[in-house]
Amino acid sequence: MPGSALLDAQGHRKVHPISPLVHAVAVFPAMGGVAIAFSASGGASIANRLSSLPGLEALSALSPILAAIAVVAALAALLSLVVAAYQYIAWRALSFWFDDDGDFRVQSGVLFRQQRRVQLSRIQAVDVTQPLAARVFSMAVLVIEVAGQDDSRVRLKYLTLADAREIRREVLARAAGLAADTAEAPQDVITKVPPGRLALSLLLRLSTAGLLLLTAIIILASYVSEGWAGIGFALVTGGVPLIVVISEYIRFHGFTVAQSPDGLRLHYGLLRTESRTVPPGRVQAIEYVEPLLWRRFGWTRVLVTIAGVGNDSSGGNQGQQGNTVLIPVAHIDLARDLVARVLPDLDTSAITWVEAPKRAWKRSPIQWRNLAVGWDEAAFATRRGRVTKRLAALPHARTQSVRWTQGPWERALDLATVHVDTTPGPVGVSGLHLDGTQAREIAHHQAGAAREGRGRDHSIHWAHE
Amino acid sequence: MATTNTEEAFTSSDEWVRVSPKLVTARRLVLGMSMLPIIAVVVVLFIVPIPEFIPIIAAVASAVFFIWAWWLIGRRVRSYAYCERDDDLLVSSGILFRRLVIVPYGRMQLVDVTAGPIDRALGVTTVQLHTAAATTDASIPGLEPTIAADLRDRLAHRGETRSAGL
Repeated sequence: MPGSALLDAQGHRKVHPISPLVHAVAVFPAMGGVAIAFSASGGASIANRLSSLPGLEALSALSPILAAIAVVAALAALLSLVVAAYQYIAWRALSFWFDDDGDFRVQSGVLFRQQRRVQLSRIQAVDVTQPLAARVFSMAVLVIEVAGQDDSRVRLKYLTLADAREIRREVLARAAGLAADTAEAPQDVITKVPPGRLALSLLLRLSTAGLLLLTAIIILASYVSEGWAGIGFALVTGGVPLIVVISEYIRFHGFTVAQSPDGLRLHYGLLRTESRTVPPGRVQAIEYVEPLLWRRFGWTRVLVTIAGVGNDSSGGNQGQQGNTVLIPVAHIDLARDLVARVLPDLDTSAITWVEAPKRAWKRSPIQWRNLAVGWDEAAFATRRGRVTKRLAALPHARTQSVRWTQGPWERALDLATVHVDTTPGPVGVSGLHLDGTQAREIAHHQAGAAREGRGRDHSIHWAHE
Repeated sequence: MATTNTEEAFTSSDEWVRVSPKLVTARRLVLGMSMLPIIAVVVVLFIVPIPEFIPIIAAVASAVFFIWAWWLIGRRVRSYAYCERDDDLLVSSGILFRRLVIVPYGRMQLVDVTAGPIDRALGVTTVQLHTAAATTDASIPGLEPTIAADLRDRLAHRGETRSAGL
């Protein structure tokens, strides 16, 4: 065990002792909100009353607004202190270690003791993230993603960046079936998304571009007609997409993809930085997303489904979508190269497609031309969308079940849809509105292909293949 | 329970099993009970002093709905069928929205057997299969309890021998 890590009486490791303080700082803005809710209107009057108390006469010297701010800040600090005290008790109860079977165990809980055992062969991804508050203290969070229905992941808050990387290294080495002291795998940077391209790509999504254009027209019209009422409207039509663009830019700023024997490493984030390692064979399905205005540049975004990642509701508001992006924008050739690294056998460029029949236009007048399914020995893929084209694919071995569905309108046109189910995630593999009989044959064929694919799959201990 | 050949022969060699007709009784019973508040409202409409055509329309509409739902339950229950093949289970159902689900035994994470109070009184049980995908929608309602238990055990056994990782 590394010398820098803290140990408790049983020789189990602890997170960094500064953690309660980081927790308190992390909730300080939220506590400020609570404090304002309590006393926004009453802040000034509270300040007034407090100033009559001995020792607090200085408050009356401040202007009423400053006094109110001081009261709110003091309240927020007090609430944060309560959080810190609670987190200190939680910190004392938290410890983690590798057990004799080589699995990872975490013990936690003050009132309800909980011990969680992570079977390392089931690990889906390992993340080192730095939320803004943690970055201030040069601390990091280690997240071990395990496949599971609800909140099956393990979060260790907070560790020094070096400790977090060290534990990640050990977890990955053990999960790969190597000795625990195997040195960290070297990594080669494959690509880094240039800031300009990221910003441009976010602006060029049709809904964003359309709203911004509309805003420009409204502003122009208001200027010409001197009917300034339009400005308020423009604030909404321009403000909403700008907020979306800016927040997504902050999330994906400096998106870097690196290859290492442990899998693909993704680093990104401007304020909150994330560093994710996806071991080989953990990606269940992928999807290329190509908005209309990106196609002239040959750009695409790649979404991935990883079991257990991005499907929890307790993960907070930090953009679950961000958890499932392989690359936010890249040229299609580079995107294909990245996909080939996470799913080596999957090559969607050579697939022969079975297209939806012409009569499908009565069901989907816009996207019918792009509707198709295709497969080869390794993978199953579907195409849909016309304005934003989507191409989803998964290896046969990742098929959980196959569904054939037919709604009333589809039935009237003798059309049907084939769904290939995978673990919950952003990727939906559905072949929409195919010929009814053909769709049924495809569903049965896919069930057979999935069976054969499972027989060939050996991705549990990837270093032992 | 009889094997079926009227539901489309998906592949001719497969043996499709229909669910118990008791499910029709169970569902119609539930329908009848959910009609009670509607009937109460219609009765109240007849009593309160409003133009007479309003309660008449309400009564006719609820009667039409009742007959339609009654008939639909019969057809829907007849549409449920399942088929155990060597490597996977097929479940088909639906009248308006028809579907066929293929679940490989190796992908089953767990098998649920459930029965509500009315179901228990009438002796029908639901068997539901879960995979790692949330979208897998494979439930077979209306099985006799013994058949459901046997099916569950067979499925669990096959799942064990063919199980695979994610």
